[in-house]
Amino acid sequence: MKIAISSEGTDLSAQVGHRFGGSPYLIIVDLGTGNFEAVPNPGSLNQHGAGVQTIVLIISKGVKVALTGYCSPVARKHLEANGIAIFTGVSGTIEEVLVSYKKGKIQKTQAATIDHEPEKHLVDKARLIHAMKRSGNQFVSMLPIFLGIVLLIGLLNTFVSKNFLTALLSGNVVLDTFLGAFFGSILAGNAINSYVIAGELLHYGISLFAVTALIITWVTVGLVQLPVEIAALGRRFALLRNGICFMLSMPIAIITVFIVNLVTR
Amino acid sequence: MSSVNKENVKESKDKKALGRISIFPVCVLACYGILCAIEPHKSLIAMRTSGNLLLYIAPPLVLVFVIMLALNLFVKPAQIVALFGKGLRIKGIVFSMVAGIISMGPIYVWYPLLKNLREEGAGNGPIAIFLYSRAVKPFLLPVMIAYFGWIYVVILTLLTVFASIAIGCFMSVFMKGK
Repeated sequence: MKIAISSEGTDLSAQVGHRFGGSPYLIIVDLGTGNFEAVPNPGSLNQHGAGVQTIVLIISKGVKVALTGYCSPVARKHLEANGIAIFTGVSGTIEEVLVSYKKGKIQKTQAATIDHEPEKHLVDKARLIHAMKRSGNQFVSMLPIFLGIVLLIGLLNTFVSKNFLTALLSGNVVLDTFLGAFFGSILAGNAINSYVIAGELLHYGISLFAVTALIITWVTVGLVQLPVEIAALGRRFALLRNGICFMLSMPIAIITVFIVNLVTR
Repeated sequence: MSSVNKENVKESKDKKALGRISIFPVCVLACYGILCAIEPHKSLIAMRTSGNLLLYIAPPLVLVFVIMLALNLFVKPAQIVALFGKGLRIKGIVFSMVAGIISMGPIYVWYPLLKNLREEGAGNGPIAIFLYSRAVKPFLLPVMIAYFGWIYVVILTLLTVFASIAIGCFMSVFMKGK
């Protein structure tokens, strides 16, 4: 079994880190073999999503128990939800803590500090409130752009003639699909906006080939996010992935429309 | 950084983000204002058209919220993402695809996590599959079906799933040894 201990340093003589998410290192010890490794704690970087990265890191390492001085209720909830037991109020050097844990002392003395699930329905209620808050935030954050697009469509419907928009596209399947894929690649944002725009373009007489390519590339190709993708995953990966996705979007759009036409004929 | 400072930083970031995403609707409203002065009758028709469109999308939007809530309530993306495979085995393909489909929020939020996973040994194939499968949005399906019909949505969704596997294979081959 593997355990993770928040640490101020990289060896067993280091002090236990006071905060689980904020300590510079995590010492991961395999109790079966006695081997340990010190990994930099992504949570200490204070970046967006760093706390989640700490949790993902210890899950990916197969850790079953976490020992630390203090752990926030949110982090505790995520750890426990992922099957990791968390013991707080731990102090001293990593070596001392390991000895105490092996002797079962920490389990006996600190287990009381674990927030046991008090009542099943109470936990469910707390989780529901958290989920509702999160969903509410996600929903509200997509509304401004979405409402802007709905208002813009009203303007386009009233002030721009259908002939003008249809004249922009030639009626040639390949060229229309290419243009749809191109516009989808340079536009970004929540996918719901692509559905609304594509649906309205369809009413204007723009071909289903073009709007399907637009829907596909809207999410899969991101010219706007390309610098961020390059920074995170490397230039070669980002350019290759976006290039292949763009090329593949066109045959997929064409095949989709052909199958739809066959099925609905 | 103290928890109070963190709260303040988060609040200021939220305000900035809200400011950024409000620019577009404010610009559209400004266009309405200008056009209202020139063509008041047509602007009113445009408003009515937008209102009708909003009424048309409102019922699927309620469903969107319900599905979002269900995903947030029952799905733990951190656990699934942690199961990303190193190579393109069936388990790696399935888990990265499922993770991509259930992942929500803007893509740039996920990049640091993917970077970390790759440093931990996740392969290029599963990461590419994750990024492509994000095109399937279960919580937005009601809106998509309202616009294009379920036959179109089913076909496009299936082809997107197959395409994500193809992208994963391409990336594994072209990025071999990188």
